Amino acid sequence: MAIGLIVIYAIGPMRANVLNSTYGTDYDANYFFIGQLRSVGLSLIAFFAAFKWIPYKYIKKWAKPIMIAALALSGLLWILALAGSSLARCELGECRWFNFGIVSFQPAEFLKLALVIYLADFLARKKEEGSIGKMKEFWLPLLVVCGLSLFLVVIAQGDLGTGVALIAIIFGMLLMSGLPMRQYLIMVALVLVVAVGAVATSSHRMERVNAWLATLSGSESSDSTYHVENAMLAIGVGGFFGVGIGNSVQATGYLPESINDSVFAIMGETFGFVGLFLIIAVFAALLFRMLKVAEHTEENEDRLLIIGVFSWTLAQVVVNIMAMTSLVPVTGITLPLLSYGGTSMVFIAFAIGLVLQLSCYTSREVITNEDTSSGRGLRRSRYSSSRSRS
Amino acid sequence: MPRNNSSIRQRFKILRNIVFVLIGVILVRLFFIQIIEHNAWVAKADEQHTLLETITPKRGEIYMMDDGEPVVVVLNQTMYQVVIDPTVTKKEDIEKVVNEYVKEYTVADLNEVYNTEGLRYAIIAKNVPRETAEKIAESGIPAIWLKKTNQRVYPEGELASGLLGFVNNEGVGQYGVEGSLNKVLAGKEGLIKTTADINKVALSIGNDNIKIPAEDGENLVLSVDRGLEKGVEEIAAETVASSTATNAAVLIMDPSTGEVITMANVPTYSPGNYTEVTDASVFVNQVTDVPYEPASICKNFAFSAAINEGLMTSETTYFNQGYEIVDDWKIQNAEQRASLYGTITMKDALYWSLNTGSIYALKLLGGDTTTINQTGREKLYDYYHNKFRLGQITGIELVEAEGYIEDPNEGWGRNSTYANMTFGQNLGITMIQTATAFSAVVNGGTYHTPSVVRGVMENGEFKAKSFVEDVNDKILSDETSAMMRDMLVNNRGYKVRGGIDRPGYAIGGKSGTAQVVVNGAYDDTFAQLVGSYIGFVGPTNELPKYVIMVKMWGEGQSIDSGQAMTLFDSLSNYLIDYLKIKPGA
Repeated sequence: MAIGLIVIYAIGPMRANVLNSTYGTDYDANYFFIGQLRSVGLSLIAFFAAFKWIPYKYIKKWAKPIMIAALALSGLLWILALAGSSLARCELGECRWFNFGIVSFQPAEFLKLALVIYLADFLARKKEEGSIGKMKEFWLPLLVVCGLSLFLVVIAQGDLGTGVALIAIIFGMLLMSGLPMRQYLIMVALVLVVAVGAVATSSHRMERVNAWLATLSGSESSDSTYHVENAMLAIGVGGFFGVGIGNSVQATGYLPESINDSVFAIMGETFGFVGLFLIIAVFAALLFRMLKVAEHTEENEDRLLIIGVFSWTLAQVVVNIMAMTSLVPVTGITLPLLSYGGTSMVFIAFAIGLVLQLSCYTSREVITNEDTSSGRGLRRSRYSSSRSRS
Repeated sequence: MPRNNSSIRQRFKILRNIVFVLIGVILVRLFFIQIIEHNAWVAKADEQHTLLETITPKRGEIYMMDDGEPVVVVLNQTMYQVVIDPTVTKKEDIEKVVNEYVKEYTVADLNEVYNTEGLRYAIIAKNVPRETAEKIAESGIPAIWLKKTNQRVYPEGELASGLLGFVNNEGVGQYGVEGSLNKVLAGKEGLIKTTADINKVALSIGNDNIKIPAEDGENLVLSVDRGLEKGVEEIAAETVASSTATNAAVLIMDPSTGEVITMANVPTYSPGNYTEVTDASVFVNQVTDVPYEPASICKNFAFSAAINEGLMTSETTYFNQGYEIVDDWKIQNAEQRASLYGTITMKDALYWSLNTGSIYALKLLGGDTTTINQTGREKLYDYYHNKFRLGQITGIELVEAEGYIEDPNEGWGRNSTYANMTFGQNLGITMIQTATAFSAVVNGGTYHTPSVVRGVMENGEFKAKSFVEDVNDKILSDETSAMMRDMLVNNRGYKVRGGIDRPGYAIGGKSGTAQVVVNGAYDDTFAQLVGSYIGFVGPTNELPKYVIMVKMWGEGQSIDSGQAMTLFDSLSNYLIDYLKIKPGA
C-alpha cells in the first residue's frame, strides 16, 4: 500500500504544482512529492512506534491526560485563531492548523486518536464498574467529553468531515461497549436530529446539501456543484483500466483538492475501475481484518480500541469515496493513508499500528500462555501475514 | 462474559454487514460511473479539456524598390498586451506598474476593472513595446500576463498611403495593397487542438492532439520606387498647396511593361494611425478606384483608332468651323482663335485640342466625313472598350472601379454621346485604365496589363513573381504609335522653346480639362473643372521610358489642365534627374 501511494504522489503533486505556480505561488516541482515522502516516513515511524515500541498498556494508563491534552490543543488553536495569531493557519476562513513555520499540525487528527484511546479506557472501566448506561457515572462524563470534542472540531474549526469521523468513532465504540440496544438507538436518533438541525440552520451546509441534490438530479451545474462534477468526471473518464500514470488531465487544475480530499477521483482517472476496485478491496480487507482481530480479542478494552480505529477508518474511507461519487454531500475528509496531508496520515498510521500490536496479543491467546518475549518469532509471522492482507 | 458473547457477536455481525453494504454500494456506484456512463464522461471531459486555438501566421511585409534594391516600407512589430486577473493581482501592485511603465498605453479603467464582480481577465494596456513589457515581466507581480500582438508599422510614415492602405484592428487589410492583397499578405492560419490544463496551457497528454502550422504571408516587393514616390508626393503636395486644388493624383508607369513605379495620392494619411483620419475619402486610391472623365486626353485614343484603321494621318486635313452640331447639340471648341478657322491638319487639331478634330476622326471611322454613323460608333467602341480596355477592370493587383463606356447602338442621342467620347466626356474611366491605354498608344502599340507587384522576398532574397496575367495584346501598329508619338511631342513644341523640355529627350503630352456634371448635365459655367495631363518621357529616338499621368481637382474649384500640365512639367524633369535618364543622340 505504501508503494502504491508513493507512485501516485510522484505524479499528482507535479500536476498540482503546475497549477499552483500559475497562481503566483512558487512551489518546487517536487514540493508535494517530498512533502508526501516526509509524511510517509513519519507515518512509518508512527506505525512502528505504535506497533512495536510503545506497549498499549502504557498508553492506556495515559488515556485521560492524552484526551485532556488533545482537547487543550484544539482549544488553544481556537483561542489563537480568535486572537488572530499567526500560529493559527486558516484556509477559507476555517482555522484548523497550527503553523510552526515549515511544519504544520492539525490538532483534530490528534483528537480522533485521543478519543479512541480515551473511550476505550473509559468504556472498559465503566463496564467493569457495571455503570454502563447510568446517567451520572456514564452518560454525563461521556457527553461532556464527546460534546466538547465535537464542539471544538465542528463549530470552532468548522470541520464537518472530522466531526463525522468523531461521531462514527463514538457510535462504533458505544455499540461494542455493552450499552443496551434501546439506549443506543435513542442516542443514534438524538444525534440524527441534532445533525439535521445543524445542517438546516447553516446556509453554508445547506448549500452543500443542495449542491449534492443538484448533482444527483443532474440539473444545471453551478459553482457549488463544480467540485463533485469534476470528481465524477475524473472517475468516469478513467473507465475500466484508467488513463494511466501521468495522464490525468483533471489533476492539472480542473479538480479542486486533487491531491488531498479528491485523490480518490484522480486515482479513478489514473487507474480506472480495476484500480479503484483493488484499492477498495485493500481497505475492505483492512476493515474486516480489524473486525476479526477485535472479535478474537478477549480483553474488552483492547476490543474497544480496535473498534474505535475500525470506525474511524471506515468513516473516512466511506465518506470520502461517497462524496467523490456524489452519494453524500461533499465534506472535507481525507482518504486514509492516500491523501496528501501529514497529520492525518501519521495519526491513522499510529492507530493502525496499535491495532496490529493488539492483534499480536490475540495470537498469544490462541497459542496459550507463552510470555510476550518468547513469542517474538510468532508475532513477526503474524505481522507479516496481516500486512500482506491489508 | 459468556452472557454477553452472543450479543457481542451479533453486534460484530451488524458492523460486518454495514461494511459489506457500504462497499457494495460504492462498487455499484463506481461501476455505474466508470463503465456505464464512461462515454458520457469522456465526452464531457473533451469539452472541458480541449483547447482549440488558431495559430496566427506572420503577415507579409511590403517592400518597395530603391536604387534597384528592395527596401522594406511596411513591417510587423511584436507589441504586448498587459492582462491581469483582478482576483489575484492586487490593485496597488498593478497601479504601480501602470504609473511606472504603461501609462500611455493604458486602455482600461482600473477602478472599473476592480469593481466588476467575477472578472478574471482584464486587458490593462495595449501596444506596449518589448522593453517595457520585459520590465513588467520582471516586476514579479502575480497573475499578470503579457500577450503578444502584431502591430503593423509603416516606417515611411505617410508615404504612398493611398497605394499601401492599412491593417485594421482585426488584422484585416483595408484599401490599397493591404486590402487588395490581404489574402496573400495574411497567409494561412494554423490550428492547434490539444488537451489543456485549467489555465489553457497545452499539455502533452492526449492522443488526438492536432497541430497544423500556420503559413506565413508573402513579403511583397512592389515595383514602386521609394525615393521617386517620395519626391513625387512632395512635388504634388507643393503644387496642390500653391494652387486652388485640394487633391492630386499621380501615376508613373513603364509603358513597355505596365509596371507602376509611382502611384501618389495627395493628401496622404498615416496608415499607422488610420483611426485619426476624419475624412474617409483619403483612403480611396484615386488612381484605380475612381472613374472620371479625363476629357481631351482621350483624343489620343480616337486619333489612334482612325490612324490605325488607315483612315487618317497626322497630315490629314478637315474644315474647322469652331463647333459641330450633333443630335441638335452644339459642341464647341474651347479654343476659338480666328487663325484656326478653315482647313487645318489633324496634328494642329490635336495641338490646339480641338473637339471638332476628334469628332472628325470619328466620322472618318464611319467612312462618311459629313456625319457620324453606326459604323463609326461601333469602331470607336471596339477601340475604346475592346482594344484599349477602357471601362474595364485592368487586372492590376489593387481594388479597381470598372467605369463605363456607352453602348454604340442603344439609347437616345448615340451620336452626340460618341462625339463627346472622342474628347473624353460621357464616359467613366480610371486613371490606371487611361494611362495603360496611353502606354499602348506610345509604346509601339502593345497593351500590357498594369502591375504594381514585382515579386516576393523569400528568406531575404528577391524572387520575381507576378500576381497579374499580362494580356500582352498588340492593338496598334508600330506606325500608328510612332505617328502618335510625333504628334504628342509636337504638342509640347512651345515647352521645348520655353526651355522646359530639355534637348535630347522626347517628351510628349496631352492635356485634358473636364467639365463636371451638375444636376444631370454638363456645367457650362466651368465653375468646377478637373484638370488632367498625360505624357511620356524618354531619350530622343527611343521608345518612351515612362508614362506620367497627373490629375488635379478640388471641390467647387476650377482646375484646368494648365495646372496639371505645370505639375507634369515638374515631374518629367524630376524623373529625368532622379532616374538619371540619359539624353538620346
